[in-house]
Amino acid sequence: MRKFAIALLLLLPLSATHSAEELTEASYDRIVKHIMPSAEEEAWRKLAWRTTFWQGVMDANKEDKPVMLYTMNGHPFGCT
Amino acid sequence: MGEFIPCADEVWRLHNLKEADCLHFQKWCDEGGTLNGEGERATRQGTYCCTPSGVFLGSANHRDPKRIAEMLRGALKKWKEIKKEDRLLKDDPVKTWEQINRNEKQYPTDGMVLRVNSRDMPRTGLDQNDWRTHAWNFDYAWFRKDEVARMLPKVFEKKAKWQLPADLVQRTCRLHLVDNVRGQTPGFAPENVSEAEINCEVTRLKKGVVTIQMTGKVKLEQGQRGLEAKMLGEAQYNTKTEKFDKFELVVVGQRWGATQFNRREDDRERSPIGYVLSLASDHATEKVAPTEFGSYGWR
Repeated sequence: MRKFAIALLLLLPLSATHSAEELTEASYDRIVKHIMPSAEEEAWRKLAWRTTFWQGVMDANKEDKPVMLYTMNGHPFGCT
Repeated sequence: MGEFIPCADEVWRLHNLKEADCLHFQKWCDEGGTLNGEGERATRQGTYCCTPSGVFLGSANHRDPKRIAEMLRGALKKWKEIKKEDRLLKDDPVKTWEQINRNEKQYPTDGMVLRVNSRDMPRTGLDQNDWRTHAWNFDYAWFRKDEVARMLPKVFEKKAKWQLPADLVQRTCRLHLVDNVRGQTPGFAPENVSEAEINCEVTRLKKGVVTIQMTGKVKLEQGQRGLEAKMLGEAQYNTKTEKFDKFELVVVGQRWGATQFNRREDDRERSPIGYVLSLASDHATEKVAPTEFGSYGWR
């Protein structure tokens, strides 16, 4: 029973109801800053990505280079 | 990395459709072994290298950059061993592109594209070393020129008040205000929209730029999942260019429930989530079609 109670306590942080900070003009900038990705999170954009496989094939054919394709369920540069 | 042409794409389409780019991928994608198990339903997610002509050079599905770098080095070695005439396509791939059906070809150049950033709002008690604590995602919301025009008031005058068109607000809410922070999730159906409105008021008129304050609310419910949130934002419409110079809408509220792939199986109770919808840039990577574009009904 004691172990069960401890397990319940450990689960509590993820299962408890949490309320969001109220969205007001005063909190607006702070909330935007929290949600928007940081420069580090956007570092992947530094590569000259093509956003479809065939655009990669077309440019690789033109420049005589190999294609590197990163592919996921859901477009990696959209919502995956 | 400059020795490669890097590209990214959605894998289900490449793996399953019969269009030219998909058949090209299907021809060689499994030559290094299937990356995600066997069977018809196994996804082909991963990183692949090939020649433009379709010769397999390497593949891996791993988050460890060293493993990917090793694969790239091997691919480059193979590339150099192949004769130029064998590594390039004999037919012009640009002509093939014209025949490929892609949602991106409907990119609304003269309309508006919003980037929809999503992230959980702060809450206590979570392990700060857990990636889920900092997870975020993004998607794109597209609006055609005629849809942008419908967002505007009949007359630009200070204190003018109106609501954004219900169909556009509902589409934006049910297809883009989804709990995708940790992973893919489908949009909501029209009947799942309990409430969705955005109220506008002109707060400033100066040199052809109309400043608009936006407030709103949304409630979406489908079975055990949902979202209830408030909205606040500001837009600036330029009457000379007939485009928005600024469009920023913040949405904060609570999500609940889970879907098959959004990694909320242990986090189903109500918890805070936030979104920022803002103008996308012209960067090539911001021209990816909305995830739920198929539900837009554009023809």
